[in-house]
Formats: sequence, C-alpha cells, structure tokens
Amino acid sequence: MIPANEAGGTGGAKMSVAGSAQVSPVTGIAHYWRKIKKQQPVLIDLVAVAALWQFSTLFFSPAIVPPLGAIGHSIWDIFSQWQNLVSLLATSIRVIVALLLSFVLGTMIGICMGSFPAVRTYARPLLHMIQGVPALSWVVFAVIWFANVEIRIAFILLIGTLPAFALYIDSAVQSVSLDLVQLGQAFRASRIQQFLKITLPAIVPEIMGAWTVNLGNGIRVAVIAELIGSTVGVGFQLLQAQAIFDMAGAVAWTLSLVAVLFVYQGIISLIEHELLKWRPKSEVA
Amino acid sequence: MTSPVVSFSGVSKHFVKDGASFVACENLSFDVHPGEVLAIVGETGCGKSTALSLLLGLQAPSEGTIRVLDADPFGQFDDLRGRIGIIFQNDRLLPWRTAIDNVAFGLEILRVGKQERQERARHWLERVGLGNFLNAYPHQLSGGMRQRVSIARTFAINPPLLLADEAFSALDEITATKLRADLLGLIGEEKKTTIFITHSVAEASELASRILVFGKPGRVIREIKAAEIRAAGATSDDVSREIREGLRLARQRAETLELQAG
Repeated sequence: MIPANEAGGTGGAKMSVAGSAQVSPVTGIAHYWRKIKKQQPVLIDLVAVAALWQFSTLFFSPAIVPPLGAIGHSIWDIFSQWQNLVSLLATSIRVIVALLLSFVLGTMIGICMGSFPAVRTYARPLLHMIQGVPALSWVVFAVIWFANVEIRIAFILLIGTLPAFALYIDSAVQSVSLDLVQLGQAFRASRIQQFLKITLPAIVPEIMGAWTVNLGNGIRVAVIAELIGSTVGVGFQLLQAQAIFDMAGAVAWTLSLVAVLFVYQGIISLIEHELLKWRPKSEVA
Repeated sequence: MTSPVVSFSGVSKHFVKDGASFVACENLSFDVHPGEVLAIVGETGCGKSTALSLLLGLQAPSEGTIRVLDADPFGQFDDLRGRIGIIFQNDRLLPWRTAIDNVAFGLEILRVGKQERQERARHWLERVGLGNFLNAYPHQLSGGMRQRVSIARTFAINPPLLLADEAFSALDEITATKLRADLLGLIGEEKKTTIFITHSVAEASELASRILVFGKPGRVIREIKAAEIRAAGATSDDVSREIREGLRLARQRAETLELQAG
C-alpha cells in the first residue's frame, strides 16, 4: 500500500543497502596491495626499531645488545627445534585455555552483576581488590597453595584475567539501551529471550574489547606464572636465557611470544569482523 | 454489546520518589471498544506514559482495575504475549539485525517457525514499501524507513490491539504526515483497535475516532467524539479546536492545583 519509491521518508533512499550495494570490481593484486598499504605504519615501525637496534650494536657488547643476525638465529632455533616449539605451544595453549575459562566464568559473573544490583554491590569491590594485587603476589600464593605446576599457572592466569572480563561484561550489561530492554518487555519476551535476543547481541562489542585487552594481559601473566616451578613454557625459557646470559635467546623468545599474541589478535579480529559486520564503517575501530 | 478491548476503572498510580509521594494517574476511567481508534492527548507530564505503562502491564496500578483483552495486563502478563502491538516514538530497531530480521523479532518471541517468520516479515516489509530493503541494516535506512520497519514489526504479530506512543514525533513534518496517512490506511484495512498517545493536536484530529484529553495528574479532562463531529459535517480543524480547548482546560486545572499546593 505504500509506494516503494516513497518509502524513504526523511533523506529518501540515502543508503547503499547490503545485498544490493554496487561494489566496483577490484583486481586481486590491487586488493592485496591495499591491505599491505594499510599495514604500512606497522612495517615502518618494525624497520625503524630493527635499524635502531642494529645501530646500537656498534656501541654495546653482543652480550648486552646482540646483532639482528644472532636474534634471527635464535628465532630459527625456536621454530625448528621441537623441544623449543613445545615451550612456545605450551604457553600459547595455557593462555588460550585459561582465557576461555576466565571468559566463561567472567561472563557469568559479569551478567549476574549487571542483572542483579545486589550481586554488583558486593562483587565489584572484590574484583577491584583482586585486580589491585600484583601478579607476582599471586605467583607466591599459588606456589604455597598448589603443588601441581599446571594448576598453579592456570590459577594465576585465571585470577589475573577474570576480573577484567567480569567488570567489562558488567559494564556492558549495565549500558544496554533501555529502549531495547523496553522493546523486549513490550513484546513480552521471557527473561531468557530478553537475554539471548537483546542483551547478549548488544554486549558483543564489549566482549570483543575485553578479549583484546585480556589477551595481552594473559600473555604477560602467563610468562610470570611460568617463571617459578615450570619446566616448559616461554617463562621457563626466558629464565634459562637469563641464567646463561643469552640475550639473543631472551629477545627471540619474547618476539616469538609477541608473534603468538599477533596470531591470537588476528583470530579475534576475524571473529569480531564477523560478529560486528552490522556496524556502520565509522564505528569500526 | 461487545466487551471493551481496554477498560480502565478508577485507576490511580502513586509513586514514591526521594521520600515524597506523587500521583501520576488519579481515578482514571475509560473504555476502548473493538475497532475504535482512540487518541490520548496531553502535555508532557500529564500521565500519558504512565497510562501506557499500566496498559502494557509493565507496572501495577495502585488502585482500580485494568482489563486488556479480558486479561489483567500486569497479573496475566504472559497471557497477553502477541496480543498487544506497540509502535514507539523512536523505532527501537535492533541495530545488529537486518530489516527482515527486525520485523521477525516479535514472531521469534512468539516462537513462530523460521519459514513462516520469514514469509510474514517479508510480506509486511513489502506492505510498508520496503520490499527492496529486506537485508538492509537500520543504520542504512532513513528515519522514515526505520519507522516503517517498526510498523511492519508491530503488524507482523497481528495483534488485536495496537498502541502508538508518540510514533511520529521524532520525524519531520512531511514524513510524519505521510506515515500517519499510511498507518491509518493499514489500521483501516486490518481493522485494528488502536490507541494513539500523542501531544500533537494534528495527529489526534487526523487519526482518531475519539479523543481523550489528559490533564495533570493523569485524568481525563475532556472526551471528544471526533467521528461524530466529523459525521455532523465538521472538519478536522473543528476537532483540533475542541482538542485545544481541552488542553486549555487541562492547563488551567494544573495551574489551579499548583496554586493550591502552594
């Protein structure tokens, strides 16, 4: 009954609509070139740091600032020798497993906090308190409390990352638009429907933000946790490198861990891109 | 005579805020009959929103009885699922859903099967003139288009009672006028009992067969039988004049109450 060509109302047909958008054909090479160009600042940063590092080798002993070649050699050792690769994999797996566990628990706590003010009143100060405790203190506590190294590391990682997840989710649940909450009520959605169809999709951007923040945090905490008692992992390897004054090895292990972080961040970006494809381009970071 | 779709009988609603009690609705009584298009007009703070909230069952009245489609909207909240449709002032579309999925939202709440959901959503988007924008996200649509999606979402659940809460006040006048006419057409075609809540005299005089002018604190100051006035040969301007007179009385009453309260 309403003519389609008049449907626009204000602004008329101002949009490019998904599914009918006119995308100009882009050749494969141009597409990849654009992607590389987007990463240009990162590449420039890397080259600048590498150049500065190499330049400083002129003034310091190789034991303090090893040349890039020695670091490259150590990196090759990490990726080509199985026992080294196991250490890198162990840390990577520990981080992701602990983060997943922390995410599930943190989300449950955050949702309870966001939904029930009484829970929030008591849980919030407690989480802030936990956040205020240095990671090293948790390491000491864990060593005293747990005999098993893996449980020790899992505990330290969990306690180090769970508060951030819970606080992020709590804040996200609190900030779900009242308009949308009322929409659910007006349609008489059940509590579960309200949560699944409104609250959960609404907090996805904050969940992704919490993952990005916690990933870096998780990697740092994992290395600290592995410093004591562990016989495998990047933390342990860094300790070994320090014991024999192997600076090239220490830098190589650190860089390898940063590479792991980049891989995880890439995966999170892909998931984020998929889950938040509805957002206008200007809102996408 | 058929029973009313909506019945407010001696309804009052009191709130306590910061230790002070205030009355949002006082001894409110009115009926809405099947097929009727009723407008509730009043200035800001006259209790329109509270009446709407009571009607939706989002809160219980302090006194009196409310019946909506033979149910207590607060006590039998779930019994009215899918039986009241509402069009809000702002479209309240879910930004992560496409137009068709937004229209299907109410049907999902009613647990309608996916295929039927999609068919009904598509049908209603086509009826509001957005058949070419099924997969558009809200941010890709103009204000008028988004409000059309919200109208489609409301009609898709086929509710016997339709509520429109300042449904056009966020739009520019040209778009609002067009949408008002289109919505009135849909209401006529679908024979929906409708309640418009508005502060716009033009909206009330154009749309309603009966108008209730609300005044502080949430009570009916004047009832205008617009359909009868029009049937007697009067125009919408005459109806508008009646509404304005009602609003003047409401204002006068509010001022008197304020003076009495000191």
